Amino acid sequence: METLNIFIKSAFIENLVLAYFLGMCSYLAVSKSVKTAFGLGLAVIFVLGITMPINWLINEFLLSENGVFGTDLTFLRFILFIAVIASMVQLVEMVIEKFSPELYTSLGIFLPLITVNCAILGGSLFMVSREYDFVESLSFGLGGGFGWFLAIIAIAAIREKIRYSNVPAALRGLGMAFILTGLMGIAFMSLMGIDIVSFTSAAQ
Amino acid sequence: MGLIDFIKRIEPDKEKQPFLHTLYDGFYTFLFVPDHTTKGGVHIKDGMDLKRLMIYVVLALQFCYLFGTWNVGHQHFVALGIYDDSYFSGFHLKIAYGLIKIIPLFVVTYIVGLGIEFWTASKKGHGIEEGFLVTGALIPLIMPPDLPIWILVLSVIFAVIIGKEAFGGTGMNIWNVALLSRVFVFFAYPTTISGDEVWVSGIEGMSAGAAVQYGWWETGFFNSIFEALGWATFDPSATVVDGYTGATPLTLAYQGGWERVTEVYTAGQMWWGAIPGSVGETSKPMILLGALLLLGTGVASWRIMVGMLVGAAISAIGLNLWGASPFMDVPWYYQFYMGSFFFAMAFMATDPVTASSTNRGKWIYGFLIGFLGMIIRVMNPAYPEGWMLAILLMNTFAALIDHYVYQANIKKRLARV
Repeated sequence: METLNIFIKSAFIENLVLAYFLGMCSYLAVSKSVKTAFGLGLAVIFVLGITMPINWLINEFLLSENGVFGTDLTFLRFILFIAVIASMVQLVEMVIEKFSPELYTSLGIFLPLITVNCAILGGSLFMVSREYDFVESLSFGLGGGFGWFLAIIAIAAIREKIRYSNVPAALRGLGMAFILTGLMGIAFMSLMGIDIVSFTSAAQ
Repeated sequence: MGLIDFIKRIEPDKEKQPFLHTLYDGFYTFLFVPDHTTKGGVHIKDGMDLKRLMIYVVLALQFCYLFGTWNVGHQHFVALGIYDDSYFSGFHLKIAYGLIKIIPLFVVTYIVGLGIEFWTASKKGHGIEEGFLVTGALIPLIMPPDLPIWILVLSVIFAVIIGKEAFGGTGMNIWNVALLSRVFVFFAYPTTISGDEVWVSGIEGMSAGAAVQYGWWETGFFNSIFEALGWATFDPSATVVDGYTGATPLTLAYQGGWERVTEVYTAGQMWWGAIPGSVGETSKPMILLGALLLLGTGVASWRIMVGMLVGAAISAIGLNLWGASPFMDVPWYYQFYMGSFFFAMAFMATDPVTASSTNRGKWIYGFLIGFLGMIIRVMNPAYPEGWMLAILLMNTFAALIDHYVYQANIKKRLARV
């Protein structure tokens, strides 16, 4: 139940893009068509879902005082987390290049740039500061990725829809994307504040 | 010949006075059919243009305005403990009080919104778009009666400029403009639009003995008329009665479920709408009359309305089965008696611009609004009512739903080739 709660919370209630404004650069740059956004969204779900548990293992067994080295190595956290993320992104890149060259070319530089997508590193750091266990961090990774995926395909569909609107010249492109993101943030505030745990504990 | 010649004579020059010409053009087409025709290929279905469509919605809203005018006055006198024995005692006072509260909201909304509309139209060099007619009629109905006018002005400016003109004007917006103005007030000035104290107007507070706030319109203007007619007048020395809280049924349901609600209000009161709330959303029969008018003229989509009803019912039944809080235990059919479900269903969710435009998309869109709105209402302690935010959330996804409905259709038809 706790795991499910973390998934729902990270996907809808504390959405990485719309509540924390993480991962904005690729969110704004790759959201011009639903098809590419869909591909990048899936890549982010995969990378978040797989780096989070690996980073949890690293943090727990290598870096903490109770780990194999027996000393506090947490100052290495950033560099190790980024190394894991970078190697996972390499993997994703190779897979996408092999199976969907079309998507690979349309994503362009933004695929390797998932490495420095702050949503991914931010997710791993949230996991540490919130003291999740292994299963919870997996659920947080998948939920956070799913929330990011939903946000990017929603804004991509809206941007496709307004492509032929008579938007004032000064706002075309990024200006409109910022207004859209702000208004989407307001819309996503609808679920903010729901605490499922309080209901499940009351029922028992 | 008469009026039309006079009107044609005063037509301002389009190049030299663009603003005056836009204004002239807007009012000219109110009175006469324009004599220029569209050039190029158009496909005309019938004589239903944007202006007629908008006017049907505005007409459908008049039932809510009539009832709201009375109810604002009625709630005011219930708080004071006078004329609360029947709906018709002190009728002229209730109507007069309601008019004093509603007319400023209505006039200010239209002046500000249409002002921006006229200005951008003259700036862009096209005719006035009629989009604000409906938005301007909706906004006063979803605000509390005592909302300070300057907050109303700010919210209308925000909604019209950010929510509509930035997207390119009428018919281009992604989010419902009236709801954006309300959500602006809701997040920027929460104390003016949530809590127990804002839904009943004209009193200084909810504690017993709090004084009424009457201005020149009540004590000067209307009292002198009523005195001349020999009718009852406004009493500036009246005070709030003991035990009055002003809480809405939703607040009470959150505190103690359906038992707590029925201690204060009867089901009939809630159904007919004699309860505190935003100006126009309390009376279910009046809203349903308007909804029938919209369905009969084909302006609103029945798929969205039915989808939303089904979604809300399923969500409420599911919450009944879960039953983890008193609010969840409220029988699902009574959920429809409280709050503004029907107003949102009839006038907000069915907005053809912001809803999904495919038939299958409309079912999904309506269903999800109903489902999520009920969850927000019951489970989110921060927000007393869920429909505004649920509709805005689904507006965000309406374009995406349409996209996948199109894709599925393309795939299906490709397979047939």
